[in-house]
Amino acid sequence: MNVYAPNALTALVLALADDELILGHRNSEWTGHAPILEEDIAFSNIAQDEIGHAILWYRIFENLTSRDSDYLVFFREARDFSNVQMMELPKGDWAFTMMRQYLFDAFEMTRLKHLTTSSYQPLADAAAKIRTEEIYHYRHTVNWVKRLGLGTEESHRRMQTALDQVWAYALQLFVPLPDEAQLVAEKIFPNSDEVKSEWEAIVLPVLNESNLIVPSTRTPACASREQHTEHLTALLAEMQETARLESPDVKW
Amino acid sequence: MTDTQWQRYEVFEKERPDLPHRNAGSVHAPDDEMALENARDVFVRRPNCLSLWVVAANKIFSKTVEELAADSSWQDAPPSETSETYLVFQKQGQRQAETFVNHVGEVEARSPQEALGNALNKFSDENVYVWWVCPSHAVTRSEDSDAASLFQPARDKEYRQPNFYRVVTLMHELKASQQEARPLDEDML
Repeated sequence: MNVYAPNALTALVLALADDELILGHRNSEWTGHAPILEEDIAFSNIAQDEIGHAILWYRIFENLTSRDSDYLVFFREARDFSNVQMMELPKGDWAFTMMRQYLFDAFEMTRLKHLTTSSYQPLADAAAKIRTEEIYHYRHTVNWVKRLGLGTEESHRRMQTALDQVWAYALQLFVPLPDEAQLVAEKIFPNSDEVKSEWEAIVLPVLNESNLIVPSTRTPACASREQHTEHLTALLAEMQETARLESPDVKW
Repeated sequence: MTDTQWQRYEVFEKERPDLPHRNAGSVHAPDDEMALENARDVFVRRPNCLSLWVVAANKIFSKTVEELAADSSWQDAPPSETSETYLVFQKQGQRQAETFVNHVGEVEARSPQEALGNALNKFSDENVYVWWVCPSHAVTRSEDSDAASLFQPARDKEYRQPNFYRVVTLMHELKASQQEARPLDEDML
């Protein structure tokens, strides 16, 4: 159990927020480095959206726990983050970044649809707001996946490599949180198996159409959101550096 | 040497119901669909937008008023068999803030040259500096149903506003405290 999240609902909200924050931060590493100017703007935009979504989830978490979200972001240790490992993996090449973002966008599309009818109203409201932007994210990344998958020999090879690398990590998105059954029973959160089958119904045809072969593994790369790779420590060291240099009440 | 640059598209944005689509600038893209997305990302991050059009720059037939006055041989191009709809655009000012190329209407024609000739007859040329015509079918347009995901979220993304980060208000506070402090400093001198 995450020390910052005293119960099932707070653990869920923190997981939602941390996933968006860490992915948004990773994506922001492309700012100034994306393959073309237009995509630099587009992908920086997507990165900023993910961090904006994290803010919405952290606000709910703040209301539930009275924890300051700036503190959660800038002063927590890696072991206390509850993102899936997929988000913390290095940005890799453009193919890896696009494949990771695509698989997550498809996941968001399916999960957010369910969350808009959550019995916990703050979750439903945030999901409705985020979902309109995720429709655009999905549209953007599915176009890249298809074009790179069906593009040149090199782009196809890189996309297949990316899919092989990230697939097992993506499966961690569907590992239920501890006590998730309670949230499902209270109609706060959808059943992960149901979300997974809907996700597969979206991504499998697209990957097939893009001439990409889905790895055969059915086992998630990691089964717990309390376990992280060394990449998260490095990411946090950079993300938290400035905040930790100064005393928390500094104004600049 | 092979040119690896994607082709250029001109972007037209409609910001209000009472304004025409007007040229916002250009983007590079590998195809029409990506051009529309790139146009959204480059030009609609914050402002209101109701509709976006993109058209490959090489589909636009363009003449300045100087070119029209100097040479009429462009009219001699042979028209094709079939007629189609062309969109007509005019650049109606040339001061810095008036560099918009506005959509003014449509003509039917069998070639870009004939379309421009028809446009010159149909529309006023007062204060016009440049004419653009392009086949309507070459234009990729956003759908009304795109507005919710492509354009509307820009309106309430408060985290994209500078004041969301309190930097501006903090600066004001700091400046105010400095100004209050200054008379004291003078007294001390």
